[in-house]
Amino acid sequence: MSDPTFRAGFDATLETAINTALRYDPGSRARLSKLAGKVLGVNLTAPAINLFLVIDDEDDEGGYVEVHSRWSGEVTTELSGSALAFLQLLRNRDATPARLGVTVRGSSALLAELQSILRDLDVDWEEPLAKLIGDAPAHQLGTGIRMAASWLKDALGSAPKAGAEAVSEEWRMTPPQAQFEAFAEDVAGFAQGVDRLEARIEILRRRLDGEEK
Amino acid sequence: MTERKTTHFGYQQVPVEEKAGRVADVFHSVAARYDVMNDLMSGGIHRLWKRFTIELSAARPGQTILDIAGGTGDLTARFSRIVGPTGKVVLADINASMLKVGRDRLLDRGIAGNVETVQADAQYLPFPDNTFDCITIAFGLRNVTDKDLALRSMLRVLKPGGRLLVLEFSKPQSKLLEKVYDQYSFRLLPFMGKLVADDADSYRYLAESIRMHPDQETLKGMMSDAGFVDCEFHNMTGGIVALHKGIKP
Repeated sequence: MSDPTFRAGFDATLETAINTALRYDPGSRARLSKLAGKVLGVNLTAPAINLFLVIDDEDDEGGYVEVHSRWSGEVTTELSGSALAFLQLLRNRDATPARLGVTVRGSSALLAELQSILRDLDVDWEEPLAKLIGDAPAHQLGTGIRMAASWLKDALGSAPKAGAEAVSEEWRMTPPQAQFEAFAEDVAGFAQGVDRLEARIEILRRRLDGEEK
Repeated sequence: MTERKTTHFGYQQVPVEEKAGRVADVFHSVAARYDVMNDLMSGGIHRLWKRFTIELSAARPGQTILDIAGGTGDLTARFSRIVGPTGKVVLADINASMLKVGRDRLLDRGIAGNVETVQADAQYLPFPDNTFDCITIAFGLRNVTDKDLALRSMLRVLKPGGRLLVLEFSKPQSKLLEKVYDQYSFRLLPFMGKLVADDADSYRYLAESIRMHPDQETLKGMMSDAGFVDCEFHNMTGGIVALHKGIKP
């Protein structure tokens, strides 16, 4: 068994990261506080990690999240899947657990609300920066970071599409989508034809058997 | 002439009745800077050791928890959140200075309502039988004069099925780590104690008391002898610290 100190360190780091981000987005903290008492169990299959996110609230501060490696109380929603699937679930607005192979047990309402909070998370990083370097430099730096983040998001967002086009159109490593779809339709039509032929042969065989008797 | 019974105080042998007073002096001396020194001495890792203790406690809302030798209230604060308004956490310490620091710190953090503080000796816990769902004692058992008596006292006040968690310094599992740890404990630790708390002797006692404390298997055996079942331990940070768990049958 691995040293529990490492696991405790992982949980503490994750908990600090989540709550630090929440501290600079009061809107999300307020929404989270409405979910106080709810527990999200996450069972990652690859890498194999179990963790429980316990939502609680502080009277004046709003919601916060505690990360536990074990939880013996009631779990509101339990998710199971790979880390990659979870990342897609958090990033992609149209992603659904079923499509990504993530199994859900318990209330799906908690998952939907947490997804919504995460997607709307708007952390004001300028606030902690301003405390360190002053308002004006923090604003300049924040503007620069936002522009860079926006460019990076656009670049990363278009990268998969551009990559797919290069593979099929430029390098001809895979067929274009239209060609593949036409081929798939032909295969499906052929399969149906074979099924029909098999059914006719079966009818004829039965008829012949009846005549012989 | 009758011989006086003695026990260890660090590497010294002292009369049994003197040990509690001497330990009390150490903690009166370090109480004000206990947290700073803990962070400094362990590089903050003591928070992770305590975190794992909480995880293994399986504390739930509504439960009653006793935090013995709770000192400055780290575990109590976390338990207070978990058990919620329907539960209760008792912060107990034999040392009035440590208890005062702990109580003030909890109040400063707004933790009140479900927390009580009690000055109590772990050997003679002043609670009725079958009171607590869980008892923790973090870095406290090695300072208790009669550990067997304390373990039996804890067993008495636990409810059947209740858990005892003993977090304590233990024996490193590798020879190399043990050598490094020895150098650190006997050279660097008293130096840091002198520098930060102006009290090298107290921190020298801490290092010596750690070496005199029973190792993992011995403590597990002591818990079984006291009447606990399903006893187990988890080594942390290479065995520098071990978390022992036992259940009251």
